[in-house]
Amino acid sequence: MEAVGSWQDKLKDRIPEELGREIDIFETQMKLRRRGEVDERLFAETRLRRGVYGQRYDNGHRHDGTQNRELAYRDHPTKGPETVWDAPGMLRIKIPYGKLTADQTDVLAELSEDYADHISHVTTRQDIQLHFVHIDDTPDIQRRLAAVGITTREACGNSVRNITACHLSGVCKTEEFDVTPYAEALKEFLLGHPDVQDFGRKMKPAFSGCAHEACGLVNMHDVGYIAKTREVDGQVQRGFEFYVGGGLGAIPHDAKVLTEFVTEEELLPLTQAVCRVFARLGEKENRGRARIKFLVAKLGIEEFKKLVFEEREQLPHDPRWTAYIDELPDYDEKPLRPPVPLQVNGEHTPEFKAWYETNVRAQRQEGYAVATIKLPLGDATGDQMRAIADIAREFVGDAIRLTVEQNIVLRWVSEADLPALFEALAAVDLAAPGAETIADLTSCPGTDTCKLGIAASRGLVAELTNHVGHLNGGTDPALKGLRIKASGCFNSCGQHHVSDLGFYGISRKKGGRLVPHFQVVLGGKWMENGGSFGLPTLAIPSKNIPEVVKRVTDRFLQERNENETFHEFIDRWGKVEVKAFLQDLTEVPAFEEDPSFYSDWGDPRVFTMEDYGEGECAGEIVPLVEFGLQSSEREVFEAQLYLDAGDMDRAKAMAYKAMLTAAQALVKTEYLDVTDDPDHIVTEFRTRFHETKRFHDKFAGAKFANYLFQTHESGGNGGRPEQARDQVQEAQLFIEAAYKVYERIGTQGAPA
Amino acid sequence: MSAEGLGPLESAEVSIKLFVDDHAVVRPHELIAVFHRWISEGLLEDELTIDVANYEHVPQGPGIALICDKSHYYFDVRHNRWGLRYRGRREARATGKDAVTDALTRALKAAALLENDPALEGRYTFRTDQVELVIYDRLRAPSEEATLEAIRVDVEAAIAELYGEAPRSLGLVSVPKEPFAVAIENASSPSLGELLGRLAPAG
Repeated sequence: MEAVGSWQDKLKDRIPEELGREIDIFETQMKLRRRGEVDERLFAETRLRRGVYGQRYDNGHRHDGTQNRELAYRDHPTKGPETVWDAPGMLRIKIPYGKLTADQTDVLAELSEDYADHISHVTTRQDIQLHFVHIDDTPDIQRRLAAVGITTREACGNSVRNITACHLSGVCKTEEFDVTPYAEALKEFLLGHPDVQDFGRKMKPAFSGCAHEACGLVNMHDVGYIAKTREVDGQVQRGFEFYVGGGLGAIPHDAKVLTEFVTEEELLPLTQAVCRVFARLGEKENRGRARIKFLVAKLGIEEFKKLVFEEREQLPHDPRWTAYIDELPDYDEKPLRPPVPLQVNGEHTPEFKAWYETNVRAQRQEGYAVATIKLPLGDATGDQMRAIADIAREFVGDAIRLTVEQNIVLRWVSEADLPALFEALAAVDLAAPGAETIADLTSCPGTDTCKLGIAASRGLVAELTNHVGHLNGGTDPALKGLRIKASGCFNSCGQHHVSDLGFYGISRKKGGRLVPHFQVVLGGKWMENGGSFGLPTLAIPSKNIPEVVKRVTDRFLQERNENETFHEFIDRWGKVEVKAFLQDLTEVPAFEEDPSFYSDWGDPRVFTMEDYGEGECAGEIVPLVEFGLQSSEREVFEAQLYLDAGDMDRAKAMAYKAMLTAAQALVKTEYLDVTDDPDHIVTEFRTRFHETKRFHDKFAGAKFANYLFQTHESGGNGGRPEQARDQVQEAQLFIEAAYKVYERIGTQGAPA
Repeated sequence: MSAEGLGPLESAEVSIKLFVDDHAVVRPHELIAVFHRWISEGLLEDELTIDVANYEHVPQGPGIALICDKSHYYFDVRHNRWGLRYRGRREARATGKDAVTDALTRALKAAALLENDPALEGRYTFRTDQVELVIYDRLRAPSEEATLEAIRVDVEAAIAELYGEAPRSLGLVSVPKEPFAVAIENASSPSLGELLGRLAPAG
């Protein structure tokens, strides 16, 4: 066997330079944090923006049902406030609009086996999550992902999260047009964009191909786009109805129309303007009110609109706004096999027929179908992911997508291949019927792994699956399309507000003991992009929730009017009646009488809230300038490494870059549009901080600013090699001076 | 973390699985409470036990997992075979032959805990004539015959030391894309107690 090196060496030719550089930077930041040279709060937001999340019990404590026990990890610096370095965490992997290739699917399989618990978990926002991952492994994981074109950048933290879109985009019979290339363009444009680095909270965008189906869920997103066309001078013009300010959480908000038609040309700049207004005016102190929905509600949509369009007028032109339009005609997902209709005959097995009925949807392209792989609780093993990759290669090529219902679809299946595809999936236990029916339940991780989880949503959904799973699309068609969704807490990651029967975890006390409960939310509308939110009714002990489902669905079948939807039925039934109907289920027996009520589904420990932690969903509020200054510190650290290695030219170049980064960070506190051009940075810095003497040191005067000016005038790399050491030290002093100025800004308020 | 110039058994990710004798007795759900109790009573020596993860809903999956600081224990059903899997995670506890012995010892101890757990009423017993060794480290241990040859001597020595004789066969059972896996066939099937007795320090 050949001696192995590292993933960094092995993959160096396959990782795009920029992605590789970002990962190297993250690894350096980890080293600095381990040495205690980066503040824990800053490091937490840094890792979150790389998708590296905390997980339950990472504060070093766990309640075992009788007592709170300390988890005696080794003593290292923390990886964030109250977050132990060695505690296992979660890695969120952004999969833009859920699109995966076969090779990417293979790599996800490998990563789940090599670094996690053998499971790839599909989230409700088309991400993949790996759990029980150690932070030290994350740079290599990111490298292996980067080698197949996946980045975890901005998968968490106060940034633009994964851009989701209908999994049927491009093949759907009801869409206006394929939104995929637009989602891709927006993703490329916003990733790492300076205007999305200073939010008080995250921003989630979504695209939908039509208004009436569910899959894009635009109504519950921070920013959303529904495909639309109009005729101008006899020409069909593509664009989007642009929504803003939707969201779930404790108090769901319907998205508002920002404009009824944004053209292809204006899609990116108008979104950029929204981001700027959100960054400038959005709440920064109170995380609970920092999403854009609160800003829209506070200002009113008309004022928000006015500000956005004013901002749009101020934006410096960016050629990327329209560059993607030229590439639109090139975007095309091609089928692997020719279209051949399915021969429907008596030879198909009952299992195939059941699967075909619920898991197969005809594409608008004749002879092709989309097949849905229903994943229990969104989980697939490494072996299954690998099998999906191989099956995709055989039948559809790279046409794989994740769905917001935690499933995986294979698109462009030639219909004649469906029986063979079914057999291939069945061989790896992936041919369960009932996709997108009442038997296809959704859950966020809940108390299984989430620090914010209150109740065991996954445990509940596993139990409910035992109760409704046999319906497989419903013995009664009225039940077939109902959705059941559960969240571990009010934050609504399970999307319970837009399901027919929704549940979110809470707790109640009985006889001095805590009892896990779920709030019952009925009658939300899944269709029409998550068209309306359900009716919160009452809190029911977890152990009685299966009975809630049985009673409510039975009642619906018995008393619904002809063609009445569940949403309409609940509306007619009314909150008062529903509460009376379920009231007896709120009763909790005494612990001595039935202790099972005092434990959660799938968790035998006596229920407690002592494991409830500080969530990281909200990220850390870190001003943009601090990121810049942190980068400059990391760069000067790297300059030192070059110096130690005797590479004087690179040491000087990196020291110069560190000074520029620090100067740019300060300039950005008042002028966000400063570019990366060194001349531009130095000019702006000179005008704003040197000539105003704000960068001057009480004793040293302009000395530190002059370090930058002299180095800049020499082209950044001037002087003899032996001057490198001086230059690195000067950069260090410049950065320290920059920090001091920033501290003064913080105490005196931002300069005019 | 990088792995400069290291061989397969220098990896932290060495795993040993012991298979149950009788699949019919397995009720995975009951192991959730068992593993939680192991955590609260600290029954796994030399492990910082953290959490239990339930994947019984996933066919041929990791089953019930006991997550520790430097390792995972699974009662898993990969390839439709239930068994107790010890799996090292980060920071190799030993290298070469000792890595095999260490993983095997930890798997044997955990399996013995299951065999003797009062809640399971003696239903779970394990065979020791078949053992699966997996290295979840595609960098150091690609799934190929060369990896098997690179570890053969160490594995044979570890087995010989514990069983008193070399294994009857070692065979690569993973395809190239899978984690490297070896089926170890032993000539005898001593009880867990017997094997653990041989591991006990002399004197």
